[in-house]
Amino acid sequence: MRGRRQKGAEALAPDPDAPAIAAERLTRAFGDNVAVDGLSFTVAPGELYGLVGPDGAGKTTTLRMVTGLVGPDSGAARVRGLSAESTAAVVRESIGYMPQQYSLYGDLSVDENLTFFARLFGLPKAEARERTAQLLEITRLSRFGDRRADALSGGMYKKLALACALLHRPPVLVLDEPSNGVDPVSRRELWDLLHHFVHGGMAVLLATPYMDEAARCDRVGLLHRGKLLAEGPPEQLIRGFHHATLMLHCDDRAAVEGAIEARPELLALSPHGADLRIVVPRAAVGTFTDLGRRGPARFTVSEVSPDFEDVYLGLLADAEAA
Amino acid sequence: MSRLVRVRAIAQKEVFHILRDPQILIFALGMPVALILLFGYAVSFDVEHIPLAVVDQDHSAESRALVAAFTAQDLFELVATREEPASVEPLLQRNVARAALIIPEGYARDVHRGQMATAQLLLDGADNMSAAIALGYANSIALSQSLGRARVQLGSFEMPVEARVRTLFNPRLQSSVVLVPGLMVIVLVLVAVMLTALTVAREYERGSMEQLFATPVGRIEIILGKLAPYFVLGLVQVLLVLTTGVVLFDVPVNGSLALLFLIASLFLLAMLMQGLVISVVTRNQMVASQVAAISTLLPAMLLSGFVFPIDNMPPVLQGLAHVLPAKYFVDGLRGVLLRGNGLDVVWPDLVAMGLFFVVMLVVSTKRFQRRVA
Ligand SMILES: Nc1ncnc2c1ncn2[C@@H]1O[C@H](COP(=O)(O)OP(=O)(O)OP(=O)(O)O)[C@@H](O)[C@H]1O
Ligand SMILES: [Mg+2]
Repeated sequence: MRGRRQKGAEALAPDPDAPAIAAERLTRAFGDNVAVDGLSFTVAPGELYGLVGPDGAGKTTTLRMVTGLVGPDSGAARVRGLSAESTAAVVRESIGYMPQQYSLYGDLSVDENLTFFARLFGLPKAEARERTAQLLEITRLSRFGDRRADALSGGMYKKLALACALLHRPPVLVLDEPSNGVDPVSRRELWDLLHHFVHGGMAVLLATPYMDEAARCDRVGLLHRGKLLAEGPPEQLIRGFHHATLMLHCDDRAAVEGAIEARPELLALSPHGADLRIVVPRAAVGTFTDLGRRGPARFTVSEVSPDFEDVYLGLLADAEAA
Repeated sequence: MSRLVRVRAIAQKEVFHILRDPQILIFALGMPVALILLFGYAVSFDVEHIPLAVVDQDHSAESRALVAAFTAQDLFELVATREEPASVEPLLQRNVARAALIIPEGYARDVHRGQMATAQLLLDGADNMSAAIALGYANSIALSQSLGRARVQLGSFEMPVEARVRTLFNPRLQSSVVLVPGLMVIVLVLVAVMLTALTVAREYERGSMEQLFATPVGRIEIILGKLAPYFVLGLVQVLLVLTTGVVLFDVPVNGSLALLFLIASLFLLAMLMQGLVISVVTRNQMVASQVAAISTLLPAMLLSGFVFPIDNMPPVLQGLAHVLPAKYFVDGLRGVLLRGNGLDVVWPDLVAMGLFFVVMLVVSTKRFQRRVA
């Protein structure tokens, strides 16, 4: 509202050449707690960008600044060239947003939720009906139109939320942990849907704490304490990883774990069947090989190629140490 | 155009919420009827048949006339006569009597000499409502007795003054008649403030407010859409309480119904806004409902003049009563119902409620921003 009347200088039509989303040194603190700290990134049309980070990294706060729901202390978020703050009303028209929290109406049915949001977006009746039917079809919820939203499974609920966010055919989609609480089968379905829309030219910005999901994005930004640790396509981040991933083949996994877990070089450790998978600085590979030979708990070492989770855990450990 | 569509979408959604939560409807429509029946039949403020003990130490025609005057109507009922003043106190303590009339020796003599004749009335002050009414009644008896004596002494010509107690507008001093406006205020504040505070806080708590703010719907549209159904519900309650009052308790409707609904509407709007302010400030159903209960029920019961006269309160409470709309609502409503007042009389009440509404509107729109943090 405010934006429409304010600032004649600011263009009010979206700029087709601008990035779909541009975060420009976004900063926001809550009291002393800096949630987002000078964060910059862009998302192009037809790109699926994943903000990956642990709990409290600032993912939600970033997405809320992009959707104009939280004001930045400094910096700006732009959607198709328009400020999410001063031209919030125009920006809202071009964004579909799915919050992290359950936010549809549980006591309304699937159809009623969809109709409600269609009316808020001002869709004409016939068009609303057509799109609702179409979205129910592709999310495979057609049979559940009469079911109350709070009686849906986690996966069905998320698909409904996605359908509600897509009703007005937004060019930009913002999703906060879309597959939180969704079983693996539904999760795959959800991702197939996302890829379908991205291929159609939609820009998608999503936040996730899951590595397997991050690996399926076109580009990811590793977020830690409000700052980007690394950014790029997942394969590129894996290729550029400067630490080593080792598989420790143990006779007694628990004993080995006890012997090495306090070592300062250790960046990440996870059980892998009878083996242990660890991430260590390249310089420490020799130390661990020796350690395995001499005991007290014996193991043999082989280096394996890192996956995205190793990269994530390794970079996170670096950041924590710094 | 699309604004109207959005307001209607929100309002319709709210109606769904209301219809699907039976507790809301029971609360909103059952409670008024239950309250009015309870207050109308059980908790009567009517004062009648106060048990009276009499100590007549004078044994004269005059003293018997005084006792007769006291027991002539339904207010006092003679339950015991004693010879000694000391012996009535136990009766009062055991609640056998709630009032005692003590006529000392020499009463008739004093009356005849034209001196101040005194009789003593002991009242149980624990029930202050009855005591106050009984006292007023006793005074009027004393006055009429004195005037009666005056006539005897002055000879045969007609009395210039006649003492007659007449209560205007509510001749039988029926409390139910006074109660209906009072109940109306309780019912309306409970539903209007409580339900709006809850429903808006619920949107914050459940996260749906975040989803709403991400759509093109405007703040005013959200407010209008969410409050409209409760406004209608409030008017239904007014109708319900009024009908019950008229049918069961013979509450008169002396003024215009339209004016009555105008007063009720303005009060409702003020209360809806108060509920909105509470919910946008607290953003939490638990806290909102507690704040709503405290900030509405107490003023409605204590500061509206419904039970306790405002004039007898300490200045701070009087000041508070004059700021809150409850008093003006009860004032205006009683005026229209019982006295048949028109707009020319009740307009200050309307203005006062309107002012409160505007202040709450400003505060709520200031606090209700499209921001989740
Ligand atoms: N409204 C708020 N008030 C105060 N602090 C907040 C608020 N929102 C977020 N924070 C703080 O900001 C930091 C980042 O929170 P944010 O919700 O953005 O993280 P996140 O990456 O989304 O985490 P999660 O995975 O738990 O959702 C946290 O320390 C959080 O406590
Ligand atoms: Mg989050």
